[in-house]
Amino acid sequence: MDTHGRYGTRGTVLRLLAVAGTAALTLTVGLVTPLNPAPQRAEAKDGKQVLTVAVAQSVDSLSPFLAARLVSTSIFRLMYEYLTNYDPKDDHAVPGLATKWEPSADKLTWTYTIRDNSEWSDGRQATAEDAAWTFNTMMTDQGAATANGNFVANFEKVTAPSPTKLVIELKKPQATMAALDVPIVPKHVWEKVDDFTKFGNDKSFPVVGNGPFILTDYQADSYVRLKPNKSFWRGAPKFDELVFKYYKDGDAAVAALQKGEVSFVSGLTPAQAAALKTQEHVTVNDAPGRRFYALATNPGALAKNGKKFGDGHESLLNQKVRRALFMAVDRETVVDKVFQGYAKEGEGYIPPRFSSYFWKPADGQKISYDPAGAARLLDEAGYKKNGDGKRVGKDGEPITYRVLCHATDPPDKAVGKYLQEWWGKLGIGVSLDCRDNVSDPWLAGEYDLAFDGWSVNPDPDFVFSIHTCAALPATPKDVGATDNFICDKKYDALYDQQLAEYDAAERAEIVKRMESRLYDTGYMNVMAYPNAVEAYRTDQIASITKMPETAGNIYGQDGYWSWWSATPAAAGGSSDDSNQTGVVIGIVAGVVVLAGLGAFFAMRRRATAEDRE
Amino acid sequence: MTAEATPSLVGKTGDPAGAGPPGARGPRGSWGPRGRRTAYPRYVAGKLGGAAVSLLAVLVTSFFLFRLIPGDPVKFMTGGRQVSAEQLAAYREEFGLDLPLWEQFTDYCGKALTGDLGTSYQFRTPVVDKISDALPNTLLLTGTSFVLYTAIGVFLGTRAAWRNGGLGDRLNTGLALTLYSIPSFWLGLLLIIVFSVGAGPIPGLFPTGGMESGGEEGFAYVLDVAHHLVLPVVTLVAVEYGQTLLVTRSALLDEMGSDYLTTARAKGLRDDLVRRRHAVPNALLPTMTLVFINLGRTVAGVILVETVFSWPGLGGLFYQALSVPDLPLVQGLFFVFAAAVIVMNTLADLIYPLLDPRVGR
Amino acid sequence: MTTTDPDEPTPPINPPIIPPVSPPNAPPMAPPVAPAVAPAAAEGGGGPRALARQRRRASAARFWVRYRAHRSGLLGLAALALLALIALTAPLTIGSDVQSVTDAPGRPMESPSLEFPLGTDQFGRSLLGLVVWGSRVSLLVGLLAAVLSVAIGALIGITAGHFRGWFATVMMRITDWFLVMPTLVLAIVLATVLSRSLGTIILAIGVTTWPTTARLVRAQTLAVESRPYIERAKALGGGHWHVMSRHVLPNVMPLVLAQTTLIISSAILSEATLAFLGLGDPTVVSWGGLLQDAREAGAVSAGKWWYLVPPGIAIAVVALAFTLCGRAVEAVLNPRLGVTR
Repeated sequence: MDTHGRYGTRGTVLRLLAVAGTAALTLTVGLVTPLNPAPQRAEAKDGKQVLTVAVAQSVDSLSPFLAARLVSTSIFRLMYEYLTNYDPKDDHAVPGLATKWEPSADKLTWTYTIRDNSEWSDGRQATAEDAAWTFNTMMTDQGAATANGNFVANFEKVTAPSPTKLVIELKKPQATMAALDVPIVPKHVWEKVDDFTKFGNDKSFPVVGNGPFILTDYQADSYVRLKPNKSFWRGAPKFDELVFKYYKDGDAAVAALQKGEVSFVSGLTPAQAAALKTQEHVTVNDAPGRRFYALATNPGALAKNGKKFGDGHESLLNQKVRRALFMAVDRETVVDKVFQGYAKEGEGYIPPRFSSYFWKPADGQKISYDPAGAARLLDEAGYKKNGDGKRVGKDGEPITYRVLCHATDPPDKAVGKYLQEWWGKLGIGVSLDCRDNVSDPWLAGEYDLAFDGWSVNPDPDFVFSIHTCAALPATPKDVGATDNFICDKKYDALYDQQLAEYDAAERAEIVKRMESRLYDTGYMNVMAYPNAVEAYRTDQIASITKMPETAGNIYGQDGYWSWWSATPAAAGGSSDDSNQTGVVIGIVAGVVVLAGLGAFFAMRRRATAEDRE
Repeated sequence: MTAEATPSLVGKTGDPAGAGPPGARGPRGSWGPRGRRTAYPRYVAGKLGGAAVSLLAVLVTSFFLFRLIPGDPVKFMTGGRQVSAEQLAAYREEFGLDLPLWEQFTDYCGKALTGDLGTSYQFRTPVVDKISDALPNTLLLTGTSFVLYTAIGVFLGTRAAWRNGGLGDRLNTGLALTLYSIPSFWLGLLLIIVFSVGAGPIPGLFPTGGMESGGEEGFAYVLDVAHHLVLPVVTLVAVEYGQTLLVTRSALLDEMGSDYLTTARAKGLRDDLVRRRHAVPNALLPTMTLVFINLGRTVAGVILVETVFSWPGLGGLFYQALSVPDLPLVQGLFFVFAAAVIVMNTLADLIYPLLDPRVGR
Repeated sequence: MTTTDPDEPTPPINPPIIPPVSPPNAPPMAPPVAPAVAPAAAEGGGGPRALARQRRRASAARFWVRYRAHRSGLLGLAALALLALIALTAPLTIGSDVQSVTDAPGRPMESPSLEFPLGTDQFGRSLLGLVVWGSRVSLLVGLLAAVLSVAIGALIGITAGHFRGWFATVMMRITDWFLVMPTLVLAIVLATVLSRSLGTIILAIGVTTWPTTARLVRAQTLAVESRPYIERAKALGGGHWHVMSRHVLPNVMPLVLAQTTLIISSAILSEATLAFLGLGDPTVVSWGGLLQDAREAGAVSAGKWWYLVPPGIAIAVVALAFTLCGRAVEAVLNPRLGVTR
């Protein structure tokens, strides 16, 4: 036997163990030590007032030319001034970088007056030249058109005759020219970029901007940090720092709010909202939402060149069937059970929050919950039950609809379960097809029904444009702007009419007629308008502007009002008490762990000492 | 932390040391089963060759596996925005998706060998950058828990074996088995409720998620990160230490039947000296290999814990990438996860004979 | 982590001696059933078969006697029997109506009461009923996934051990390759690639967890085939199929059984994990799915512990019960491992 070898081995192992033990001790000490109050309330230290916002999305890009997520576009609102902004009271367009805008008599030329008191954070003046450069870049560079290309699609030419004058020439009239949600970037910084698809705007800080905040730091998947722009023309924000912190897990974000680690959380579930309502120093803001939540049917996917594609169920082409299906959807239950009251029952296409465009069906027109009537309608339409109680299609097969759902969206799955039972009673099967990313079957038209929802902007043009024939893909190979392949001549005529109508009241009337038409076709069945349910700490935020001001939301506004207007609460929150207890318990726990470890290592040392005897 | 760990992991494919003769023996080839003595260098070459082959196999699989994901990546990329067929074609060209599959494959392999894993669809940044941003965070989490659960597992396993059948052993083993049966994500959620949100008299002591509060510097930053680290580490340690404990215990029980221990006792050595000086070191050999293999697996296994605790590491990135799906990023991460296991297995293979003289003669 | 790595061997069964699976100690419990039988067994008549059956019965009885000595194993077995009973009688005791959302009896997320001993879920359904009903899916998925995994493992292990040569090399290469794959990652990928259904989950778990079994079975096969009676059987004209099915299979069965028990435990954990990550079928009630529902509904921060605790405990209990059984079986087969009694 190789004695030497055995001893050598033992030595190695013991050494390894010793190293591991020491490392563990070091780490444990490292873990235990920070049980002191400092990290508990980082925002309180050195007297800085920090507003921390928990967000559920991570930033996809900090380049305004690329980013599409709500969190990113919300941050752009803070970093860059747009031509116009929306009034927090009633959403009408108010001055942003432009102080004035007016169309020519032929409706094809818009002239914007650019303010002379907006400065980039590096000290240079923001001018019409910056705006013209931004639009021209998007019109000429494919890469720069990635995010906001749709805004410039109808632009003929953009020029800046003087530093305060911007002229946009259109191909055809467009009523939405006071709603160009495009961040204007500083030309002198961005003209150095070669490839817009590769430039993330996240390498050199602070990022030059002219919005109410200046971006100072960014850690991917972690946080975005901004400081107030002291020379912002509308006045500097009140907080000393604004942080958007990313929480993958909604519960973690809510827990962070309960502890005061963050000041604001959005996207609460009903259970979370109910629990937070009883919490001290927390206000739950249950605001009418900007979203509609609908069930879209596949009307037979079609391309502009007339080619049909996809495989939507033939029975859905029958308007009676679509009507019957929706008659069997109990919208009250959806609001009551799925949203647990944090929603409004769905009616027209535009949520009631946008009062000037809100429309609801007249009594005779309204599709009410009526399962028996639904069964009758289906019988009338020729989809009768077979021996097994299943309704059969024209091909003689029992009907089972594939319903596309977003796996990440809890209401989709919940409503899906109800649909299975409601339609199951009608004799129609439902197979829920939940996916993380539904775009593939959706774009290919390979579905029967789908959960659908859009956030509506103050100017509703976009959500209407996606149901026009013009939005269909050119060929089945292209991707169109269309939402679910609706193509209806009457609707299109109304759409064109409203886009060319520059009188607001007239336009609203036409918009309502479009909604009525859309309701009757039964392709988009709005089930609910989910509320924006948010909460913030009143011991950190004293006041904050909602939008609409009377009862509106805070996160994801069409402007920078909330964060710009937020005022810090007086220092010295009462949550210090619980921190004191925390510190005491933390210290006790730390001492116990340390004592245990100490004893363990003392025993080891004693044993080693004996070993040497 | 070890930001430089990425190049070494990624560059492993191009590592000349790995290009040894693959030979007829597999990654864990049939070395020494017939008691034949084989020279260590040859063994090393075989193992390294095997590891290189495995890494290549992983590279190949990660490429083809993710081509199975149904759907057109370009359409995912454009996120349902209106794009013409020409624009789609332009995107395809930009990401090399217009080439025939085998050409894409050779391209991918060629680039991978130079440490380029492509460009992320959703972030438009090199995959290697995204991974090297997240890797140190994951290593911090896994490394810390690894050291702790190994130390705890070995320590408790030794005690359990020494008192085999006693009450302590039974309690010890029972607890380990129970914790081992608990879903880690569930434990993590409970820990958040109790120690983060606070339940009853227990105040919320620890942050609910993330890795840093932000804005800290120097030592305060270290403390801040350590504070965030506690709950995820406790979760990982709780579910992982059981395995180390059980292996240590059974290895030690195996060892304790040996004659030389009786001899040692006969020499008059105290019981715990016999244990520490004779039995434990030998029993640690199988544990050591498990330790290495576990480390590789833990890197992939933290996905859940990272999700629950919003830890900005590879796991969260993987999940985020898969839901798009961001193929280059998913591929890259898959490769890193598998490579971690391969590298650790190979290390275990290489170290084992050095520690245990009985193997191979 | 171990809980989510279905293929991670529970240590006692496979102390990972890295240099390859050396021919393991022959399981003391299954000492050559065959030597006496083998010569005659080649298409033998009724007598020898009856004898073989008798011997197997005897060894099964011996197995039970030894198993009985393991208290924790008995505990696990009792727990399993109880759970199986609950799951099988669920249609009678609670009925499938418990899943219905339209007929839900309570208000959303009620706390435990006399009417709802474990409270209600987000739809107002009784959680006790759902946990009981969910046991059916969780157990079924766990069982099927483990059976699939062990079947693949046994098939590859036996063929690779029997045929040797290039076939064995290729098979073991594939096994080795799967062995280094991060199981959870691979399962997540598979579950993402395929459509969301129970079948997908079973497949994802089964396909990713078989390599350990394959290696163990192959080693055992090599050991069995080195015994002289196999030579005799071959000489008497026994074909590949005959040798594998009549001689090798019965001898690796105990190992396969122990392995199945242990894999079920991790398969149930994996099912919960995949469902928790949202990769399960959202219309089916399972424990992992309940946990995901609870999390998505915000039960964690809202302090609705009753929504979260029972499914987790159920998972842990079942996983623990299977682990205890597996360890006991393992200890009977290989007493040197010294599993606690």
